[in-house]
Amino acid sequence: SQVLNNRTQSNTIDYAQPQQYRIGGIEFTGIKFLDPTALTGIIGLKVGDEITVPGEDISRAIQKLWDQGLLGDIEVYVTRIEGNQIFLNFDLKERPRLSRFEFNGINKSQQDALREKINLIRGRTVTDAVLNQTRNVIRKYYAEKSYLNAKINIVQRPDSLIPNSVVLNIDIDRGDKVKIAEINFEGNEAFTDKKLRRQLKKTKEKRLYKLFTSSKFQRSEYENDKQLLLDFYNSEGYRDAIIVSDSVYNVSPDRLGIRIVVDEGNRYYYRNITWNGNYLYDDDYLTRLLGINKGDVYNKQELDKRLNYNPGNIDVSALYQNDGYLFFNIDPVEMTVEGDSIDIEMRVSEGPQATISKVTVTGNTKTSDHVVLREIRTLPGQKYSRDDLIRSRNELANLGYFDPETIGLNPMPNPEEGTVDINYTVTERPNDQISLSGGWGGPIGAVGTVGLALNNFSTRKLFKLSEWRPLPSGDGQRLSLNVQANGRYYQSYSFSFTEPWLGGRKRNALTASVFKTVRRDPREELDSRLNVDGAALSLGRTLNWPDNYFQLSHSLSYNRYTLRNFNLFGGFNNGTSNNISLNTTLARVSIDNPTFPRRGSNLSLSLNLTPPYSLFSDKRNNFEYIEFNKWMLDASFFMNLAGNLVLNTRAHFGFLNSYSSKTAIGPFERFRLGGNGLMGGANFFVGTEYIGLRGYDDESVINNSDPTLINTGGIAYNKFVLEARQLISPNPGATIYGLAFLEAGNSFGSYDRYDPFKLYRSGGVGVRIFMAAFGLLGFDYGWRFDDVPGRPDMKRGQFHFMIGQQIR
Amino acid sequence: CSNFQKLLKSNDVDLKYKAALEYYEKEDYYRANQLLEQVMPLMTGREEAEKARFYYANTHYKQREYMLSAFQFRTFYETYPRSEMAEEAMFLQAKSLYNDSPDFEQDQTSTVTAMESIQEFLVRYPNSQFATEANKMFDDLSAKLDKKAFESARLYYRVRNYKSAVVAFTNFLRENASSPYSEEASYLRIDAQYRYAVDSVPNKQEERFMEAVDFYQAFIDQYPDSRFLRNAEQVYTSTQSELDKIKKNNPSNS
Repeated sequence: SQVLNNRTQSNTIDYAQPQQYRIGGIEFTGIKFLDPTALTGIIGLKVGDEITVPGEDISRAIQKLWDQGLLGDIEVYVTRIEGNQIFLNFDLKERPRLSRFEFNGINKSQQDALREKINLIRGRTVTDAVLNQTRNVIRKYYAEKSYLNAKINIVQRPDSLIPNSVVLNIDIDRGDKVKIAEINFEGNEAFTDKKLRRQLKKTKEKRLYKLFTSSKFQRSEYENDKQLLLDFYNSEGYRDAIIVSDSVYNVSPDRLGIRIVVDEGNRYYYRNITWNGNYLYDDDYLTRLLGINKGDVYNKQELDKRLNYNPGNIDVSALYQNDGYLFFNIDPVEMTVEGDSIDIEMRVSEGPQATISKVTVTGNTKTSDHVVLREIRTLPGQKYSRDDLIRSRNELANLGYFDPETIGLNPMPNPEEGTVDINYTVTERPNDQISLSGGWGGPIGAVGTVGLALNNFSTRKLFKLSEWRPLPSGDGQRLSLNVQANGRYYQSYSFSFTEPWLGGRKRNALTASVFKTVRRDPREELDSRLNVDGAALSLGRTLNWPDNYFQLSHSLSYNRYTLRNFNLFGGFNNGTSNNISLNTTLARVSIDNPTFPRRGSNLSLSLNLTPPYSLFSDKRNNFEYIEFNKWMLDASFFMNLAGNLVLNTRAHFGFLNSYSSKTAIGPFERFRLGGNGLMGGANFFVGTEYIGLRGYDDESVINNSDPTLINTGGIAYNKFVLEARQLISPNPGATIYGLAFLEAGNSFGSYDRYDPFKLYRSGGVGVRIFMAAFGLLGFDYGWRFDDVPGRPDMKRGQFHFMIGQQIR
Repeated sequence: CSNFQKLLKSNDVDLKYKAALEYYEKEDYYRANQLLEQVMPLMTGREEAEKARFYYANTHYKQREYMLSAFQFRTFYETYPRSEMAEEAMFLQAKSLYNDSPDFEQDQTSTVTAMESIQEFLVRYPNSQFATEANKMFDDLSAKLDKKAFESARLYYRVRNYKSAVVAFTNFLRENASSPYSEEASYLRIDAQYRYAVDSVPNKQEERFMEAVDFYQAFIDQYPDSRFLRNAEQVYTSTQSELDKIKKNNPSNS
């Protein structure tokens, strides 16, 4: 009961008749350390308040006291009632409070992990419930780590510093890790034990040869795995399969065994599939689309997939939902089950077409609305389409500002009006990259780099300090700054800025960049230096024809090389060399995720032209105005093989030409193949296309007849790659995937040697880590299959370290 | 420095509390906050706990840590609803959320939470000395939401997707009829509809121009003295001449 009547009291409280009283007095008894004034503040009752007894007010007061976590027991008495005045007595039992707690017997990192999990609050009272709960949390924590025999002992001792306080010593002996010794099945006839064991994804036997397989026993994973086992049976047509019983028993103190008894039941097959309620498409068409034939093994999972959502392939719902039929619904009903045959009737309800009404975004705590909304393909007034929805998801993922794995699409239909509102939820992730590095090595001594890449910058907010958090951001502009210097030998400065939607009306990306590098060689007696300065301006736009995945971009760039006593190529040591070129790139990009693409393709054809000086004048020095035309073709396809396994197929070609047969092709812009494809060789400041070929030395693969150009690179190359990628960690902070590759390529010094089938081949494995703050890092081991002429001492197996996303 | 470090390491609750109050009076909110954070759990049940909690919340507020101050003020008035400071705590909680509300271009979830808190405050303390300020805060936030809705609709107009712009402006006008942006939205809707009709296939044009006429009439009824009147009239004139042209080309239709 809520209010206890005092034994000495004459007029008792009647619980059948709550009555209004005015509080005449409140007293607290049984307290030693607590302060009555403070308690009055907590209970929220004052002398003179109108209250109903019994009623809400007293319950609330008790609850408030209890919430303080200071008391072991609370009883409320009515001391006396005078007229409508009531006198209350709160009889409290104080408990010792927790002042500190300590762990013994476990290491620091586990202590920290447990501290996060257990709910011990300093200053709260210590009750049996609290102790029990703590014990359970710890036991569960260790059970998940497969320490099933962990011993936990909690010792209380008074704290000498603070009165009425205790210190908890939590002693833990986690014991041995318990592993699974054996998994046995009974009642299985259709499948072997081995096959069934394979269906248990996280529950595995301990075997010496299974080096990378965890054989921990985790209860929650085990329950999951039992469901997976049933799913497997269902997918094979055994739709009555059940687990009759299962038991987990001890084999030895640190080993346990599992026995699962199954009843498989019969295997079922499809017989007749009929359609009902479909007006837009006829039965034959739908049956063909469904792709299930009479006599196929009954598989409910596969059926649902083909009806509702089949990523990458067509499904029946897509047919309707891409045409506005959002309210479309299909219900497969089992009409008759005879022996092992099942007849299914597909009850289709097509509904009206839905028009998109409102499109909203939530979760963009940094990025501006318009930056998100302008990428979205579901537009108000259009018919609803599931493809557009998924396309929008991909576009948002490709922005790079949001965690691609958590982009939410929430269509909220409004059947009365035949409209649908669509809400996109996004989670911002950090995407600014700051790099600061320094090193010492080789003949050039110390090198320092400072780099800053802001990928979601806002120039508009640059002068509004209040919007800096911590930098002006949110308008989707990109800004990058890079300074690399080695005091005596080398300095490089670069800056670039991109506005992806110039003018805010169309996807016209404008990029402007400038750079300057200075290289000296102080070891020479003469002042020897090479300066390279350049600027580029490019404008790219999205096309609507042939489809809206196409992009066209133009860029104009100017590079100037100034040499003083610098031996760059034979016969050219002093002077200025100008490179003015116009680049046009036509690309089609339809990948679904920039960090780990699962499907889609990336095609690009680019043409780089300089003015054809030699056609107007034959006096031109080949170095004063550089002249060439260069064609590049890159194709990359992604195919999702299974789950997180993706096959990437790539082909790359490049050709460098002169305008007339009379002029030779100069040393600029040539292709250098081999190694990791990063710039790093002797001439990395001169326009050169570096292309990786794993398993070979950097820039080693060249097929050249002219010995003076052997170090300059080829004029044509091709490269083919087959790469299987397995996603290991999808965590957006550090996306990790492993890969295995086969690749082949060659670079040719002249067109008469060009032969697309003469290739240097290699294979190997590697890993890539994408970290938001650093970009992509990679480590590959390549093994070459062929020998390169003139390089007898090249190692067969090579490690390659790579930084940044590589296109080729 | 060493004095503060010593205090931090001390086990004397009362000494720490006294020092915290001194720092608080000296407006050294960072140090006051550090000390209060340590002593608060050990003071529950004592008389001073109430004041300590309020000061603790306020040190966050003064340091512009509005997320934290909002949470701490809420804890305060939920723990001590009868306190004399409860009213101020509730107001400061709402104000923390108000200060934390982002620019209209970002996600407005916290703006909505702030508006709810302000309303809750005004319901509980309708005659509060802070009521005027609370009302002003509420109006600010609601204007911000209006602006967001309006700008999202105008985005479609800006990227010349006039069909979507019309739908978005119509939604805006339906949901924010009394907004200061309604007038402009109403005008832009006419213009968007007109441009949409111009770009349409011939057999849909008449219907779509007629719709523009409807929008114009709705606009003129509601805003007879609009500052967009002249522009709206121009669009109306163009619409009429387009309709005339259609009629001439298809005399059989009418």
